[in-house]
Amino acid sequence: MSCNKFRILLSAYLDQEIAKDEEKELFEHLKMCAGCARELEYLKQIRKIFLLKERKEPEEFFETRLFTRIKDKEKQPVWQAYLTAFKKSIFVVLIFILLVVGFLNYKKFSYQRRTEVISDLLIDGQVEENFEGEVLAIYYGPPR
Amino acid sequence: MEEDPKLVARFKKGDQHAFELLVRKHKMAVFNTIYSIMGNTQEADDIAQEVFLKVYTKAGSFRGESSFSTWLYRIVVNNCLDELRKRKNKIISYETEFNQEEKLKLKDILARREEDIIEDLRKKELQDIVQKAMNSLPEKDRIVLTLKEIEGLSYNEISQIMKISLGKVKIWLFRARQKLREKLSFLYREE
Repeated sequence: MSCNKFRILLSAYLDQEIAKDEEKELFEHLKMCAGCARELEYLKQIRKIFLLKERKEPEEFFETRLFTRIKDKEKQPVWQAYLTAFKKSIFVVLIFILLVVGFLNYKKFSYQRRTEVISDLLIDGQVEENFEGEVLAIYYGPPR
Repeated sequence: MEEDPKLVARFKKGDQHAFELLVRKHKMAVFNTIYSIMGNTQEADDIAQEVFLKVYTKAGSFRGESSFSTWLYRIVVNNCLDELRKRKNKIISYETEFNQEEKLKLKDILARREEDIIEDLRKKELQDIVQKAMNSLPEKDRIVLTLKEIEGLSYNEISQIMKISLGKVKIWLFRARQKLREKLSFLYREE
């Protein structure tokens, strides 16, 4: 087994999370490997740093503040609670609806525009026909 | 104090007092875990409030497949990860380098026996230095080290909370300690 594997075992050994056979193997290795034995001492030393850590108290009136928030939340109307809980989903759905409505309107508008252009052309055709009739009338007199 | 499963069962039936007892029982562990991961007391307080609000609203979904404390720690870790994700968009810098005086103080106190360290009155002065060391580590390492070293949880509990295999817990803790060892290399180096 390489030293790397034993180094991982050292960490597990410190936590007393090592199997008996692994522990035996580790001890055998430590007898022969000065590097790993030194590493174990370093780890023990570093671990002591957590002994310095003292448990801190939360900020003042932690429970009072919490229970007030809970009461406020319970007073909230159901729709408002849903709005807060599903804020992101509602936003996504709204964007989707806007996109769909926008797309449908665009299609409708472009169809209308095309129809208008065609009818414009038709009107123009009729104007041209009338004009032609008027010119013929000037030359040959009004149609009989 | 009454056991968690009984308190949870009472709370699920609508007993508000049972919830108050759960908060009283777990608030220190919740707050200190968050503080150790986030490195800021105000932020830890806000997140701890959010955690208990979630417990209040989601207790119905707790089916007892794991212990209540495992479920609670999972909410704690998830909330911390959410906040850390949000934090990535903000510029927050924490002091992570030790000055000469801090190095000497640490070296001096850590050279003592474990029992003497626990009794040492200078512990209070060194709180910020310990947190500085934690803040210098990546978030994943801070979380596993907090659960192991501060909360004293087993590998099995950590694997359930973080939803990773036991092997991964072993490797993550090993790597976290390696990084902390590099950070604190002045402890065993002659300067």
